[in-house]
Amino acid sequence: MTNRERALNILHYKDVDRLPAVHFGYWGELLTEWVEQGKIPKDFAGGIGDGGEMDKALDELIGWDFNWNNTKGANNGLYPCFEQKELEILPDGSRRVLNGAGVIERIKPGIASIPSEDDYTLKDREAFENLYKPKMQFSPERVNYDYFKNFNETRDYDRPVGLHLGSVLGSIRDMTSVVGMSYLMYDEDEELFADIVDTFAEMQYKCVKEILETGARFDFAHYWEDICFKNGPLISPEKFDELCAKHYKKRNDLCHEYGIDIISLDCDGVTEKLLPTWFKNGVNTMFPIEIGVWGDQFEVARNKFGKGMLGVGGMDKTALRKDKAAVDAEIQRMKRLASMGGFIPCPDHRLMPGTKFELVQYYAEEIKKIRI
Amino acid sequence: MSIYLEISENVRTGKMKMVKELVQSAVDSGLPAEDILNLGLLVGMNEIGERFKNNEVYVPEVLVAARAMNAGVAILKPLLTEGNVQAVGKVCLGTVRGDMHDIGKNLVKMMMEGKGLEVIDLGTDVAPEAFVNTAIEQDCKVICCSALLTTTMDEMAEVVKQAEIAGVRERIKIMIGGAPITEEFCKNIGADVYTSDAASAADAAVELCR
Repeated sequence: MTNRERALNILHYKDVDRLPAVHFGYWGELLTEWVEQGKIPKDFAGGIGDGGEMDKALDELIGWDFNWNNTKGANNGLYPCFEQKELEILPDGSRRVLNGAGVIERIKPGIASIPSEDDYTLKDREAFENLYKPKMQFSPERVNYDYFKNFNETRDYDRPVGLHLGSVLGSIRDMTSVVGMSYLMYDEDEELFADIVDTFAEMQYKCVKEILETGARFDFAHYWEDICFKNGPLISPEKFDELCAKHYKKRNDLCHEYGIDIISLDCDGVTEKLLPTWFKNGVNTMFPIEIGVWGDQFEVARNKFGKGMLGVGGMDKTALRKDKAAVDAEIQRMKRLASMGGFIPCPDHRLMPGTKFELVQYYAEEIKKIRI
Repeated sequence: MSIYLEISENVRTGKMKMVKELVQSAVDSGLPAEDILNLGLLVGMNEIGERFKNNEVYVPEVLVAARAMNAGVAILKPLLTEGNVQAVGKVCLGTVRGDMHDIGKNLVKMMMEGKGLEVIDLGTDVAPEAFVNTAIEQDCKVICCSALLTTTMDEMAEVVKQAEIAGVRERIKIMIGGAPITEEFCKNIGADVYTSDAASAADAAVELCR
């Protein structure tokens, strides 16, 4: 069987010869560590993550079959994005930088953490109309038509290939910061916030439609959201449903028209309270189901939503920093979850610094021995 | 409806402009600043804190409520200083070394201020020594450490160690929280209190300051 067949069969509750070894990529710092330890060639430390030949070579070296997160899509963000500008250097060496989404971040040299958000541009209707709305329109430059017209002839058929559907709220959150999103939604201009969501969503819908109309065929479709944290959603589920449900439905209905019946969504944190909106409107596969840090639980959601809820993820990646016994325990847990059907084990986020190369190889090797 | 109730309701719903107007009007009508704070602003913020703890409201509601409360407090501050109103206690808080994430830390700060605590915010990427030295210099009863990353959480153990080295471990309590933190981790590193959310952190800090 190909890995494409394995993945699609599992997600359609059909038989497979074995589980595929699936991953979600790496922190850049981990690849640097592995280069320094002599585990991987220097070339692999940069430019990884696009699903290209370098990715595949690293997959082969480790023993992975594929990365679920490697998908193809349009340029569906702000276009053109804001020009990144350094605004000032602070006495402690931090740099205040205007990023591509118009948010002012504080970045400290040598620190890999998510930057602090100091301020943001998208504060009122004037900023939206003048600065953002023009960057949220569809234009043909957003889609690589030549690539997608030849897609079916050139794509990899050993791996499942997904169509990236964009993000209904996560990208807006990136433009406003969590703080700005909250102020707009609850105090300053609720109508404006809804306009922003609708404008951005329409452009993303058009991008998806244009790609599908080229005739390109995909095995699954995929969203990125990241709108939850340790204690649940970053927005009330009611508000989320009110703002976003119609956009998921429209985009997912389009995918269904083109025969795509696996629609996955990448959201970190504890996702439980937003699952009803996603499932009711056509998303059916959660990724990466972060059990390790946040305690997100595939089984709980499966018990609640039934077999219609599929999953890719759920393996506690922190075990890969520990020892063989910790990895073995996770493999046993993955075996149990996979036996429920409709579930593909995958580390529950990108592998972080301190992850042991040999343990990753061991995990990939062992997971491929599992037959369900 | 009393003006205190109006203020608390507008804090709860995050209506900053209304809170400013109401607080100014309460001040102009001669109501004591301490009562406007305790019976109006803090009541609204505490209600949001409780509801947040019970997962009845979410981060945005807390952020807008805190902004509304702070706008009211800013009007009262000169009057409170004149009246020599004491804070419930003093806490220093920050995100640990190597970690720039500050949403969780800021939520904790807002909740603590909503409980009447004085909070010294050390910001992000704070060295263990800076937590301990600030707590000593500013006479804080509690150090509060936040971390988002599994790669930075071990810095919290270093804060505990530095407090021991400085000989203040008995009198300064250390609270920890953040995405990867658990009760077990708190015990393992010898910190005093772990809380799973910002509102519980504020409650715990008030207890520690008593």
